Amino acid sequence: MIAIQTDDVDIGALIAAAKRQGTGAIVVFDGVVRDDEITEMELEAYVDVAIQELKNIAKDATEQFRLLHVDIIHRIGRLTVGENILIIVVSAGHRPEAYAGSRYILEEIKKGVPIWKKELTKDGGRWVPGEHSHGKPKTV
Amino acid sequence: MTVKIRFFARFRELLGTDIVTDVAPGTMFTSLIISVAKKNPEGCAAIFDETGAFHEFVILMKNGKRIEIADVAETAVVDGDEIAVFPPVAGG
Repeated sequence: MIAIQTDDVDIGALIAAAKRQGTGAIVVFDGVVRDDEITEMELEAYVDVAIQELKNIAKDATEQFRLLHVDIIHRIGRLTVGENILIIVVSAGHRPEAYAGSRYILEEIKKGVPIWKKELTKDGGRWVPGEHSHGKPKTV
Repeated sequence: MTVKIRFFARFRELLGTDIVTDVAPGTMFTSLIISVAKKNPEGCAAIFDETGAFHEFVILMKNGKRIEIADVAETAVVDGDEIAVFPPVAGG
């Protein structure tokens, strides 16, 4: 499942669906809204492009790390502290591939997928600064 | 001919988004964005420096593909183009 959506997801159901023949490890990354003295977080995406880029990242990760299953769900809209922002579920034969594949997907999303976060506070809001500028995504 | 311009994040707040505009054949990429952005001085300053060049951090897409500023600044837009202009991404 590759999705950008406002609704939350059932992580337990994703884990159950990620158990494929040959699965020996499932790694779940769950990024949540941190309590940085904010009231809410607002997320925005260039949805059509972001979905395609997430699919490309999942395909690359599957090939590089021999993953058996990948889910990436990135939420948009207004979220409160503690809510899920990004859920990545990967299944692999062994834990090194599962951990590495999950980390690769997360870092690639941060590098280049057109999604933005605005932290809303009592005094207004501030856009979370991105780490990568124009052109092709840069490596850290 | 018509071109759609999409701003995102802070640029969207300042300039709006999904702006469909009629342009003359031969309209250059940079001049088109400037003409739309200058409707709000703060929005224009967020995207362009005082010389009228894109800030280094600005990201451009044409029809869903990233493009280098140097490659497109002096090229003409084409009928039906969708151009996206946005600040560095911050997903995850």
